[in-house]
Amino acid sequence: MSRLHILQSKFQRTILGAEDMLEKEIVATERLSVDRRIAIYAEAYRLRLTECLRENYSALYTLLGDEQFDALCRLYIDAHPPHHYSIRWYGDRFAEFARHTAPYSGHPYVSELAEFEWKLMEAFDARDARPVVLDELAQLAPSQWPGLRLEFQPCLQRVELTWNVAAIRNAVDEGRTIDSPQRGDRPAAWLIWRKRLTQYFRSLDDTEAWALDRARDRATFGELCEGLCEWMPDREIATYAAGLLKQWIGDGLVTKIQTDP
Amino acid sequence: MHNNEVRRLPNLGFGLGLRTDHYDSVIAERPDNIDWFEILSENYMVDGGKPLHYLDAIREHYPMVMHGVSMSIGGADPLDRDYLKRLKALAGRVQAAWFSDHLCWTGVDGTNIHDLLPLPYTEDAVSYIARRIKQVQDFMERPMLIENVSSYLNYKDSSLTEWEFVSAIAERADCYILLDINNIYVSAFNHEFDPQEYLDHIPVERVGQFHLAGHTNYGDYIVDTHDHPVIDPVWDLYADAIRRFGAVPTMIERDDHIPPLRELLHELDRARDIARPILEEIAA
Repeated sequence: MSRLHILQSKFQRTILGAEDMLEKEIVATERLSVDRRIAIYAEAYRLRLTECLRENYSALYTLLGDEQFDALCRLYIDAHPPHHYSIRWYGDRFAEFARHTAPYSGHPYVSELAEFEWKLMEAFDARDARPVVLDELAQLAPSQWPGLRLEFQPCLQRVELTWNVAAIRNAVDEGRTIDSPQRGDRPAAWLIWRKRLTQYFRSLDDTEAWALDRARDRATFGELCEGLCEWMPDREIATYAAGLLKQWIGDGLVTKIQTDP
Repeated sequence: MHNNEVRRLPNLGFGLGLRTDHYDSVIAERPDNIDWFEILSENYMVDGGKPLHYLDAIREHYPMVMHGVSMSIGGADPLDRDYLKRLKALAGRVQAAWFSDHLCWTGVDGTNIHDLLPLPYTEDAVSYIARRIKQVQDFMERPMLIENVSSYLNYKDSSLTEWEFVSAIAERADCYILLDINNIYVSAFNHEFDPQEYLDHIPVERVGQFHLAGHTNYGDYIVDTHDHPVIDPVWDLYADAIRRFGAVPTMIERDDHIPPLRELLHELDRARDIARPILEEIAA
């Protein structure tokens, strides 16, 4: 190991609070002690990451308030120092961490809101892809419908939410007073996406969630219709399934209609 | 090991750091008293969405240079090839006149501290870093500028002054220097050296860009916070720098408490007003 590597490892361990091995390496001056000089870096490290988490998880930060949110940040920062070259990705395990760390694990809305906000971030700067327009659907011959498959926007995210975390995030985005966390009867399916530059999220009923998840797994339109038998009378299926397709295309979710076998 | 024929970088004029707060104003008003923008490279190393949309829209009207914070050119870890590939793709996208990063390290053993950490000013570090800069410049096929950082501590290992260290690396790597005037002021205060002496020892032809910024003075030390206007002593040092280095592209960095665009443009006009008479005097 080079001298430079040894020095940098010592410096980093000191900043991370793992060891205090740097004192012998630093020049003190009358005005500023070695401890104070090191502390400038150590404090800036935590402050910068906390600010980043406050930004990435703005609704959770608002919900928990300074004291509680920063306490969670301190634990997370100690457990997960950053590795990615861009600070934009810091906090990628925040939801998982909150799910397994007391006392936050006893308040499942914390990790659920964190998961929801991270998925919003992923949708925010995911790859752009041109959405198909409804005209492309109209050009299909009836015989092509059963075999068609769809490709979806790279920004599309699915999440199951038991708590009212989407409403909490909405309130924070709009500067309104937030409701207290409320638990629903059971997990509900949510869809997150971006249309051009604007982010959207909406809840899905069970049927649409099932159909969307299957379509994203490359099921054909015919296979979707077959599966929908479980959910509704046969005579309603074709109209319902065609309606879903139109809705997805209208939402800008679909990037390709594939008709090849 | 001096390169006698160093081609000076083009004078792009007076620029600003592009910040999200100003996207809409820049597009709507398209101010003609900004000659160019400096972008924070890592902010645009994403796949799509708003960042790249605004980047492309603004690039249509303004030249750009790139400024990175994560290359860790002085770090002991190997250079990050994925990072460099994305950086090069971005440079192609915006046709960057050049790219810069800081003369520092940002983490080691796979960790990124996301800070500009100080280096020991040693001969070994000069050779090591110069070699890495050469590799990066060869890969990027564009000139690289290294920026002097603000620092809050010195290592006992250091055998060179900061200005000797910066100059030696630029000469040996055959790269350019992004001279941050505020960082010289901040480090001069924190380490009790004379900022004028610093300026006087930087090779003129190597300096390709100036940064100006504000800072926070805590009494015993100053931190490079980029959250205030440039202070008068830094303007004075800027005037000294113009006298020594001539017409060098100048920009203002603001990263916190970001004011409306017109306020920053007003500050940028002050840089113009300082530089103009000095350059006229030199020309005469």
